[in-house]
Amino acid sequence: MDIDTVKDVAESVGILNLNKDVTSALCRDVEYRMSLVLEHAMKFMRHSQRTILWSSDIAQALRALDVEPLYGYESTRPLKYGEASIGPGQPLFYVEDEELDFEKLINAPLPKVPREISFTAHWLAVEGVQPTIPQNPTSNESRNLELLPKGPNTNPALAAMANADNTTTKPQVKHILSKELQLYFEKVCSSVLDEAQPEYRIAGLASLREDPGLHQLVPYFVQFVAEKVTHGLQDLFVLTQMMHVTDALTRNDKLNLSPYVASMIPPVLTCLTGRHLGPNPGAVGNNTSLLDHFDLRDLAASLLKHLCQKYGRFSHNLKPRLARSCLKTFLDPRKPLGSHYGAILGFGAVGGGEVVRSLVIPNLREYEDILRGPLSGSEGDLKKAEGEKVVSAILRVLDTMLMDDVPRMNGHTDDDASALSERLIEQLGETIGKRLVDSGNVALAKVVLDA
Amino acid sequence: MSGNIPPASPAGARSASTGPNGTLPTPTSSAVVNGVGPATGTAPAASSGGSSNPPLSQQNLNQIVIDYLNKKGYTRSEAVLRAESSNQAIPPELEARPKETGPPKYLEAYSRLEQWTKDALEVYKPEIQRLLWPFFVYSFLNLVDQLYIRDARAFWNKFQEQFRSVHEHDLRRLEHTLLPEHQEENGLAKTYKENRYRLPITNASFQYLMQFLESLPNAWYKLFIQIIEKYMDIRQVSRATDDKFSFEAILRRGQEDQAVEDEGIPGHKPGNAISSTDPNVGNTLAALKLGKLPMEKELEEDVRGDLGELDLEIPPVPGEPTLVETHEKVNIKQEEDDEGPTRTDIPYPVSTARDVAMEVQRIRENRDRLKLEGRTGGVGPGLSCVIYTFHNTKDHITCMDFSGDQSLVAAGTDMSYIRIWSMDGAQIGTDDAGQPVNSKRLIGHAGPVYSVSFAPSSIQPPNQQVETKPQWLLSCSSDGHIRLWNLTLWQCLVVYKGHVGPVWDVKFSPLGTYFLSAGMDKTARLWITSKASPRRFFVGHDDDVDVVAWHPNTAYVFTASSDKTVRMWSVSSGAPVRMFTGHNCPITALACSRNGKLLASADDSGNILLWDLGPGKLLKQLRGHGKGGIWSLSWSVESTVLVSGGADLTVRVWDVNLPAKEGATAKSGDGVKPDGAATTTSVTAPAGGAKKKGKGPSVSADQISAFLTKKTPVQLVRMTNMNLILAGGSFLPENYVS
Repeated sequence: MDIDTVKDVAESVGILNLNKDVTSALCRDVEYRMSLVLEHAMKFMRHSQRTILWSSDIAQALRALDVEPLYGYESTRPLKYGEASIGPGQPLFYVEDEELDFEKLINAPLPKVPREISFTAHWLAVEGVQPTIPQNPTSNESRNLELLPKGPNTNPALAAMANADNTTTKPQVKHILSKELQLYFEKVCSSVLDEAQPEYRIAGLASLREDPGLHQLVPYFVQFVAEKVTHGLQDLFVLTQMMHVTDALTRNDKLNLSPYVASMIPPVLTCLTGRHLGPNPGAVGNNTSLLDHFDLRDLAASLLKHLCQKYGRFSHNLKPRLARSCLKTFLDPRKPLGSHYGAILGFGAVGGGEVVRSLVIPNLREYEDILRGPLSGSEGDLKKAEGEKVVSAILRVLDTMLMDDVPRMNGHTDDDASALSERLIEQLGETIGKRLVDSGNVALAKVVLDA
Repeated sequence: MSGNIPPASPAGARSASTGPNGTLPTPTSSAVVNGVGPATGTAPAASSGGSSNPPLSQQNLNQIVIDYLNKKGYTRSEAVLRAESSNQAIPPELEARPKETGPPKYLEAYSRLEQWTKDALEVYKPEIQRLLWPFFVYSFLNLVDQLYIRDARAFWNKFQEQFRSVHEHDLRRLEHTLLPEHQEENGLAKTYKENRYRLPITNASFQYLMQFLESLPNAWYKLFIQIIEKYMDIRQVSRATDDKFSFEAILRRGQEDQAVEDEGIPGHKPGNAISSTDPNVGNTLAALKLGKLPMEKELEEDVRGDLGELDLEIPPVPGEPTLVETHEKVNIKQEEDDEGPTRTDIPYPVSTARDVAMEVQRIRENRDRLKLEGRTGGVGPGLSCVIYTFHNTKDHITCMDFSGDQSLVAAGTDMSYIRIWSMDGAQIGTDDAGQPVNSKRLIGHAGPVYSVSFAPSSIQPPNQQVETKPQWLLSCSSDGHIRLWNLTLWQCLVVYKGHVGPVWDVKFSPLGTYFLSAGMDKTARLWITSKASPRRFFVGHDDDVDVVAWHPNTAYVFTASSDKTVRMWSVSSGAPVRMFTGHNCPITALACSRNGKLLASADDSGNILLWDLGPGKLLKQLRGHGKGGIWSLSWSVESTVLVSGGADLTVRVWDVNLPAKEGATAKSGDGVKPDGAATTTSVTAPAGGAKKKGKGPSVSADQISAFLTKKTPVQLVRMTNMNLILAGGSFLPENYVS
């Protein structure tokens, strides 16, 4: 506290010649009063369980000391300090008080309502160990702090822990996999992908299908499949083997896969409706090999069906989600026929006749437009073959409707055959309708017409 | 100017703290005692001779002569002498003044003292260093008293640094008391001046000190002797009699800045609430009844009956005791040596079906709890902790409480309202529009809310029809009011007025009905919910009463104050029964163990002290928390584990049973290390300890674990009846202010 300040204040209230002793005494007194206010303010801060002094604490302290608080200093926004120089090396700080235009202030939009106070709960520690979840600080953050006792008096067990890096976090899962399991995992992975020796593959898959105690490895297998599928889209063999691995896992009745189904589905869907599966058309000229991916799609479809049947009840939105993604592919004319093929099979796999009735049949007439080109043969043999595949797939899924439909009366063939075919063509479009008529499956035709 | 703070009530627990209002000290008044006891002059003479009585001055001498003449009957000579001396009374004073050659040489003398303590033999050093602080304070106060302000400031600036770490709080308060008037007004300076600083010191060290003082130049010697005679109460103890003064203990104390319970201002006997400089007073401690409060007979029978039914309904797992057995173990069995208070000491309303249900649930929880058996194989029990993190608070939450059934959490804000949430998100009422809500606001206070406290409640046990949900909440605020809220109507039902100034803390009794409050008016008060005025005043603290706590048998209460003492009071008589000193900072949290034998108190600097109530002694000190306040403490059901949470973002778990002595931990280490290693550690201990000193707080070995949160100061920790830790705090991202 400067004597000059006291003088200045005295002059400002009209006392010009203040005695020097009085000034210095006043100066000290002001200093003392200020420390008194601060001391009180600290109390208010402490009782608010804060460690930062707010201007509201000062206001409270002044009130407690029976002094009018200083208005206009709020802690809701940080105070801005301006600096003014009153001489060399004598900076003077003051609180910047910006001028507000009253008109503007009134017309300004209201400030945003602050967010509501809410709370969340999480485990800070479980049996003395802090779980590594995002809500807890990482071991890096806590390392700098001296959290555990050190020095000669401390407990040796705890001291040993203090030296370790991850003192209070659980070790990562990989560490608790036994050597044997890790070895087993590697062996199985390499054997199922062994192109040269089919017996290895069969043995690997059989082990997955039958062996107990693989539960710890399930996430790794799921991840393995996902990885191989994403990186091996060119290699039909790998894709097929991955489908087999998935299948083998689902058949192992010692495993509970329901938590992993969500992660197992995407690779299967990729194999079902992927744009380009197998080698690039440009790379291989052979037509037959270019149609091989339809076999993979068939396999994926059946696997999907199996998954839906086995795990559909654990997740109420599994089937709707699958149906939706199939529908999206099916209705996208830019997707290749292979994808459509997969999507159509997917419908059958996901929901059987019900889904086919409500999602496939209404769309078949429009779909005809896509098929007509390839089927006419004008776009090459490959396209034609693909078109044929798609048509057969459609017929196949239409068949599923028959399977789960109630049996009809025997020999109910009163209707005129030509009228029937006319109506079929009208409903399904020319191509499919004709095929259906040609197949002579009257019962199916009737079901379709009823839909 | 001093009328702003309410004055201490005259009914002080310590006579010393409430002396008569002394006159303003004049410059001459303290350059007084000259190695001769000041008390020889008789009282009337001293008062007639004016306020100043110089040492062996003319006046004193005259008085002695007059007394002599009087005794001998030389009345005429006496009259002559009186007449002459009254004429002379002023001139010698005037003559004496110019003779004084500047200010007393405290600075030089103190420098010498400091140098001497540095050079002292290792044997004496730790003890002798403790002399520095009182000499420093009193030298400073004396300088100010004699108006040598500039010298006082120079003295302060030269030496204050070394006390920063331990006495920071006192330093801050004394720093600006640079006028005698301020000393008069400043609570702390006044306390220092009106009390004697108690310092136990061993015989040998005392001899050593006296040798040093006598070797000083006469003027300096006088300065020190005067301080010792006027302001200090140096107790000589012999090493052999007291464990605490064994060579080893003193050495250890020197290394770590350990709390010392028997040193300092209120110069009282450790633990005893009576403070007096008379060595014959306060040697006996008031007897305590720390046992359980016996259950009401009808209640006991009802509880037993219901537990029996429950046992039949849900038979215990084989190997587990039945509920009735647990009940007998928990509620009926008394250890021989603890006597409990009787029901007549503290009247309670007749118990209701709700009490039965709550007790039944308590027994169930007690049986099914996680049992903590203390350290096994050197590692403490692994406890689980759930933390409730509050978001978007911008640090406006000032206090929290969880209800006993863990269904509600209440948070007081500095925006004067209280907000209550259901902890599981369940609906607890409807808003104005009739929509179900899971939180409620209680509006009524006119200032920041500083404490909230739920009335006892529990989960509803299966065979009981009565509701055991929390029904009442208490809150206190800076507006000086305490409010009682009903939690079904969500309305304030009673406003308790009485405190002058802010009310800092309020706590419901563990059995309900009564509650305790404390505030800035330096009093704590005991209330009964049905009466609008307090039933007991607990007066005696020299500064704000910051925290209160209940003894589990409700016969005693604890208060902690900014004067750095913790006091224990009897509810039935209202009398103080224990006083604990040892903290160097304001105390921020208190908790009495569930077995009623120990008290934990935590302060602003991150120290936790454990007190043994029966003998009134400091049990040990738990260090590890960083600076900034420990906001909450809680005990496990077995009273073997203490949990604390504070502003340093951690929840820490402490072992209560592990003895603080080095020997015990070394022993536990023996099993692991070869003997040679164990001995070397104990030899190298001093060096390690000394080195560590510079690096801030070290963590004591009693800590079992520390859980760091993510930028969430822990405002509340609570161990449930099942030994699960619940914690609460506000998440504070770095830029939350703006």
